Amino acid sequence: MAVPLFVSSFWLRIATEVLMWAGLAQSWNIIGGYTGYLSFGHGAFFGIGAYTTAILMVHAGWPFWPTLPVGAVLSVLCAATIGIPTLRLRGAYFAIATWAFGEAVRQVATVLEITGGAFGMQLPPFLNLPFFYEAILIATILTYLLAYLLLERSMFGYKLRAIRENEIAAETAGVDTVVTKIEAFALSAIPAAIFGGLYAYLITYIHPDSVLGPAITDLMVVMVLFGGVGTLWGPLVGATAIQLVNRLLWFLRGESTLYLVYAGVAICLVVLFMPDGLMGLVERRRVLFRPRENLKALLRQFKL
Amino acid sequence: MELFLQTLVDGLLIGGLIIVIGVGFSLCFGVMHIIDFAVGEWVMLGAYTAFWMVRYLGRDPFLYLPVIFFLYLAIGYLIYPLIHRAVSGRRHNPALMGLVFTFGLASLIKGGALTAWGFHVRSVTTWLSGESLALGVAVVPALRFAGFAFGVLATVAFMLFLKWSKIGVAIRAMAQDRVMAELLGVDTNRVSALVYAMYTGLTGMAGVLIGALFSIHAGMGLKYTTFAFFVVVLAGMGYVPGVIPAAFLLGLLQSFVTVYVSGRYTLLAVFFVLYLTLLVRPRGLLGRGW
Amino acid sequence: MREDCLSRLNWGRGLFLILLVVSLLSLTVSPTTGAAPARDFFKVGVVTSLSGELAFGGNVTKRGYDMWADTVNQLGGIEIAGKRYRVQLIYADDQSTPATAAVAGERLITQEQVDFILGPYASGTTLALAPITEKYKVPHITGSAESPLIWQRKFKYTFGTIPPVSINAQAPIQTLAQDVSPKPQTIAILGIDDPFSKFAAEAFRTAAQKFGIKVVRYEIVPEGSDYTPAVSAAKAQNPDIFAIGSHEKAAIEMIKAAKELKFNPKAFVQHYGMTTPDFRKGLGKDAEYVFGASVWTANLNYKATILFTTPKEYAEKFKAKFGTEPDYTEAASTAAGIAFQEALRQIKATPPLDQAEKDALVAALEKLNIMTFYGPVKFATSGDYYHSNAGLQPIALQYQGGKLVEVGPGKLALAKPRYPTPPWDRR
Repeated sequence: MAVPLFVSSFWLRIATEVLMWAGLAQSWNIIGGYTGYLSFGHGAFFGIGAYTTAILMVHAGWPFWPTLPVGAVLSVLCAATIGIPTLRLRGAYFAIATWAFGEAVRQVATVLEITGGAFGMQLPPFLNLPFFYEAILIATILTYLLAYLLLERSMFGYKLRAIRENEIAAETAGVDTVVTKIEAFALSAIPAAIFGGLYAYLITYIHPDSVLGPAITDLMVVMVLFGGVGTLWGPLVGATAIQLVNRLLWFLRGESTLYLVYAGVAICLVVLFMPDGLMGLVERRRVLFRPRENLKALLRQFKL
Repeated sequence: MELFLQTLVDGLLIGGLIIVIGVGFSLCFGVMHIIDFAVGEWVMLGAYTAFWMVRYLGRDPFLYLPVIFFLYLAIGYLIYPLIHRAVSGRRHNPALMGLVFTFGLASLIKGGALTAWGFHVRSVTTWLSGESLALGVAVVPALRFAGFAFGVLATVAFMLFLKWSKIGVAIRAMAQDRVMAELLGVDTNRVSALVYAMYTGLTGMAGVLIGALFSIHAGMGLKYTTFAFFVVVLAGMGYVPGVIPAAFLLGLLQSFVTVYVSGRYTLLAVFFVLYLTLLVRPRGLLGRGW
Repeated sequence: MREDCLSRLNWGRGLFLILLVVSLLSLTVSPTTGAAPARDFFKVGVVTSLSGELAFGGNVTKRGYDMWADTVNQLGGIEIAGKRYRVQLIYADDQSTPATAAVAGERLITQEQVDFILGPYASGTTLALAPITEKYKVPHITGSAESPLIWQRKFKYTFGTIPPVSINAQAPIQTLAQDVSPKPQTIAILGIDDPFSKFAAEAFRTAAQKFGIKVVRYEIVPEGSDYTPAVSAAKAQNPDIFAIGSHEKAAIEMIKAAKELKFNPKAFVQHYGMTTPDFRKGLGKDAEYVFGASVWTANLNYKATILFTTPKEYAEKFKAKFGTEPDYTEAASTAAGIAFQEALRQIKATPPLDQAEKDALVAALEKLNIMTFYGPVKFATSGDYYHSNAGLQPIALQYQGGKLVEVGPGKLALAKPRYPTPPWDRR
């Protein structure tokens, strides 16, 4: 092993956050990027993982590690329950259903006794930051390895991309699109749940608004979009860029709600001008972002 | 019995308010296949506009309804080209890019409102505020009834417009077959822009009523986005007349669950019905959607 | 066909990736933070919500903390053993989320090496910050968070100047049960499903049961739903008291709905939400007769010696500085600073504080029993409300003639409660 590199715990925490978001963004990318079906309720899986860990540790007295697979299994079951009716249909139904699912899970967590309802839950504090850093680093590496092996190096990945490019053609070519889509959705739920469990234990306090709020999903979408939809490294690039910029702005006194505006403007601009994200700039080795031509093209749209 | 009737009236009145939002939203989907995540934000902007107009110009917010309609009509008309660009890009799934775009738009509007107007809760008062009519044993709040009447009237007027006007015919043609409509000489781009403009105009107007009934703050939009989605799925995506029964169902569901089960389960019941609909009747209760 | 980076992976890149992973894995925390460099002023960390959903409340606490620091510095600083030490506030925004509150605490303690911390506005962020201050053994007082959940956890380094809402919200019920005639017999309670509001609703219920008022309906509804059906259901029970456990927004909407439905209970009861300017502006004259609760108002008769002598003096100076009237949260935030200041004076600690002095500071805070413009500050050292301020008496308020007036309970009244509330059409 190499000599330990020392950093202050503040920077280690920032690194931990960046890694967690990189993993979460990849989990969204599996269904949203590779398959082309937008999950607007992906934060729900994160929350399910967080709550599973919290409930098992607090109410059942479990140790930490075994709670993670339980959360993952529960998330997969939920993904299947949502996916089966809605992935039979094409287009926007899935987006609406996942969005409604995310809100529904938040309502359930607010209503149930076992989740502490609106009071949230507190986990036994275990404030060993290097432990969490390494656990999250390993989880992130595994997520990317999984994405690489399953999506870039196997038949499964080709099927997904076929669905994204042209679903009817994929079906004609013999891909069982419904089953493949459900598999992808279930797969994408696993890392989200694991990171949820890790997050709950790291922060030690969870609340429906903090782990099930729309902000979690929003960030995942923005990060993937910014880095590059449907690419292996896009989520990593997007998550690192956005989380670091977010923390730097915060560090250098970002004391307003302008961050929502920035996020909104960033999404709109990326959709309009840079639909391949940062990875699009890197991969093609030439600048796709040509402001003058883009602006001209945009102005043309206004001549109705 | 008295409570039952009151609950029924409450539910119908809630439903009436949601119709207006649902109609524009549904048409928007039917014609352009755009799911606008910012629907609640247009409600919020409409409410705020009424608040500021009353603050600076005085008088009753109802007087400003037409002004707000045309204001948001214009804003929608100006924003549409951006949406058009988002959905007509060379990406694999243009409709989904449109979805992401409106998602960004929603975040932008909400963040802008928060930054500009802060976290204060505001209210507007109309000449109907606090008044009520007696309907047998049930009490009908006058403002809610106005909202209900407005919702129904606006919807009927809109339907007539779709049925009889030349543009209405073009809109309906586009909803049925976009390519064919284009071949027959419909300027689909212009019609789409008009539909989007009418949708933002109607939604902004609904915002005035909602703002007068409840309170106005930057986060108020989310709830109406939920309702719009719910209504449109229940109605069948893009099937405009289905919006009316769907909105009433949503209103009744809310009031009956609150009174007879528990207020805590209201939203949960809404999502459960939404899920069941997607599972059993994905093309809407009437089976007429896309 | 798209080509990804990894498909072009060669051995050089593979080695680079492996090295990167190994070096990432070996990142770890530097073993000691070391002693803080010498300075002659106190570095005070402030974690609160300056952005996000709670920014409004966060800025309320900020005004309270600023009021304390600026007043102290105008006097030349905190006097300790004959010498004055200025205070410097270092803000870290928690973005209204627990995760950021934890990072903010970590940053203030390890990067800025602050001596002690003034805490966030909300309970959720406080619950994420408290384990961090516990880990680094840094004293922390919150001037706003009041959820009983914080105190049940018995954090050694965390204190709070506001008594928990479950105690406060009982004041108006007690007033109605003891100070008006005829005594109300029934109550319907409607609460919002968030921790603060739910504790308030539960407190209404506990108080009603304690004082022999029958609870005819108890309902918790989610934030943001249409409250009309819930108000209709309460109306159907025809209660004497209609109690609303919520922040101001839901309270405004519920009272509007009650008016529209011609629901005429003999008393409307709220708690903290009704003291905000938004409540009064939102309801206009319909705010009249509404009962509420607070732990502090500018009219109270406290006589203090530290920084401000009376609530009135505080209110005047506050208004001159910020242009708004202070409410109980701002006062409690200022009082949090005063508590630190007094404890520091008692242990004669000078900046920068070392660990022994921080522990001594906590011990001094536990023994603290002072009179401030905010009232007595004395932290509980046992029980369910461990380290929350046990010195204060909650006060029942009512809107009378457009003003908030203290109406009880008992001897705390400065005016008689107006009861029963006249029906809507005879106001």
